Amino acid sequence: MRTVVRATVVMAAAVLAAAGCAGGGGETGGGDAAEPLSVWQFYGDESMPTGKPLYDLVARYEQQSGTDVDIRFIPYDDFNRTLTQAAAAGDGPDIALISAFDTAAMADAGVIQDLSPQVQAWGQQGEYFPTSWESTQADGKTYGVPHLADAYAVYYNTAMVQQAPTTWAEMEATAASLSGQGRAGLAVSGIEGAEGATGLAIRMLAAGAQPTEIDSPGGHAALESFQRMVQSGALSEGFLTWNEEDAKNQFATGQAAMMINSATYVNILREENPDLQWSVAVLPSETTGQTMLSAENLTIGATSDDVDRAWDLISFMQRPDELQVYLPERNKLPARDDVPGTAEDPVRAVFAQQLQQAWAPDAALAPHTTEVLTALQAALQQAISGTPVPDAARSAQATIDEALGTS
Amino acid sequence: MTAVLERTRTPAPAHRPRRRAGNRADQLFLLPAVLFVAVTVVYPLVYSVLQAFQDVGLREVIRGGAEWVGFANFANQFGRAEFWQALWLSLVYTVGTVVLTYVGGLALALLFVHRFAGRNVMRALLMLAWILPTVVGANVWRWLLDGSYGLLNAVLRGLGLIEGDVFWLGQPGPALVSVIAATAWSFAPFAMILLVAGLQGVPTMLYEAARIDGASAWQQFRHVTLPALRPVSVTVMLLIFIFAFKTFDTIYLMTRGGPGGATLTLPLYAFQEAFEFRRYDTAAVATTVMLLVPLVLSIFYFRSLRREETA
Repeated sequence: MRTVVRATVVMAAAVLAAAGCAGGGGETGGGDAAEPLSVWQFYGDESMPTGKPLYDLVARYEQQSGTDVDIRFIPYDDFNRTLTQAAAAGDGPDIALISAFDTAAMADAGVIQDLSPQVQAWGQQGEYFPTSWESTQADGKTYGVPHLADAYAVYYNTAMVQQAPTTWAEMEATAASLSGQGRAGLAVSGIEGAEGATGLAIRMLAAGAQPTEIDSPGGHAALESFQRMVQSGALSEGFLTWNEEDAKNQFATGQAAMMINSATYVNILREENPDLQWSVAVLPSETTGQTMLSAENLTIGATSDDVDRAWDLISFMQRPDELQVYLPERNKLPARDDVPGTAEDPVRAVFAQQLQQAWAPDAALAPHTTEVLTALQAALQQAISGTPVPDAARSAQATIDEALGTS
Repeated sequence: MTAVLERTRTPAPAHRPRRRAGNRADQLFLLPAVLFVAVTVVYPLVYSVLQAFQDVGLREVIRGGAEWVGFANFANQFGRAEFWQALWLSLVYTVGTVVLTYVGGLALALLFVHRFAGRNVMRALLMLAWILPTVVGANVWRWLLDGSYGLLNAVLRGLGLIEGDVFWLGQPGPALVSVIAATAWSFAPFAMILLVAGLQGVPTMLYEAARIDGASAWQQFRHVTLPALRPVSVTVMLLIFIFAFKTFDTIYLMTRGGPGGATLTLPLYAFQEAFEFRRYDTAAVATTVMLLVPLVLSIFYFRSLRREETA
């Protein structure tokens, strides 16, 4: 019996050791030239309207270069986890499309490669909007190239709203006057987590407060503004359970006269609600009228051993003539200012104009953005539930300070 | 007892070595299963527990070199109000789910233990709640409870009980009750099956004797049915406790842990720490606690089971 037990233990140890080795340093990133390049992304698969344009773009590259590319779609919620697990196992992709805010953390962890030499030789970094380009930087090095950009602006129903509000005081008054009979003046996502903090962060920026400064006059003003809008019926209390898709549905069905949302929904509204009369305006301002940047960067995995071909694909994907075709299909904006045709569509032109005033976290904040935005949403939820604004702000500020190590 | 065992062990029978060889061969068949469990269960489990004693962020996960910090992560977590809040919410959610599931399951079992027209069809329909993918069930509940167009509000408005929109998932208390109700709804058919089996095992003569003694239906239920169901009931409650304590999907899909963390139970807290905030070490502390609570409960359960068997 003892022999059997010993044999079992030895075999189990061998299997575990093998598993450990696999987790230590296998190398399957790119392989030799005959192997296809691997691209991981979270937009969607080939059958989805959010995924198909990327597959088409890459197919054009395959046709032109003769290189095979293997695209893998991983849903957003699983993406970072899968990428880091693969990187830990030495099995990451050649190219990974990652959130702009995650780039610095991924660089620090060693998930992606330093692309400074390639970028220097390429010499097109000056074409990009500074905020977008800044998101690719860590420790003075370049770890990616901005793929595209997105911004938040105000969609308004032209049958209900003659002229979009230009200040937040006007926004509150207009939204209140348009509410009633089961309709709200404004829709915005306020759901638990980072997604639901976008509206508050935009309002804070307008009031002159950074999103890390909720316990400040600007932060208090932003929370009070949302409180007033809920109390007046300008904003349905249900916004605390809405994600951005839900806010779009409220607007599309006429249950909201205006919404704050990203350019993602331009084509969706056009296709799904052709009879809806709507337009877009830049965000109302107070001290400023900044929008949140929403963007992704193209990066090369640390385990890729085919960096040259990976870089070739990235530089193809950033050619202005390719972006001119690709971006309108994706409902997104260029991260560089030399893409022709952006100003021709008046709606996209508004988003492009809004993008000029984009806010993105700096290098110190970027790795903690989710935590900070989650704390902001918690303050918003508390304020709407009746917690006094100073208390809600103080509690959220303590969480933010702890996350940033500034407490 | 020991003396009896000693007597049965000696003297050794002549064919003992051959039986041993046979046992060895039998045990070799277990090897694949043992290896499978070792690789898929034991290794990740041990790895996770070890992470709770190391300083592990994203960098360490990728590059290795995590430092041992002893119980510092535990001390850090035990000093955080958010951790205790998550543990407390987990217990409230779990106990609420166990109670509601048991009561609902027992009510259904008492109904379906009797034969009536359409019983099988109704039972099959009820089982849908257990079979349905969680994402479907959770979204059905989100729709039912929606403030603007949800069925619950429509019914309550029709009865004149509420005016305007009530956002059940947007308020802390109602949101917690809602996720408990949704989870109990999906678990109740499972409890019903076990309890029906238990009810069918209660000897009918016990009821006959009770009736002869003049016991009412309630007295029969209280003094015959419930005591006879006790072992099944304890098993059902323990299983539901374990299921509920580690439930992630239903809550995440319905509320994402909100509003304002009102439904942020320990599994969601661990998920948030690991995959949103990238604090793998403190997430490991939470999952270790998640492992310990049902484990301790199971030990008490099996001990009480053994006591009952030996009694």
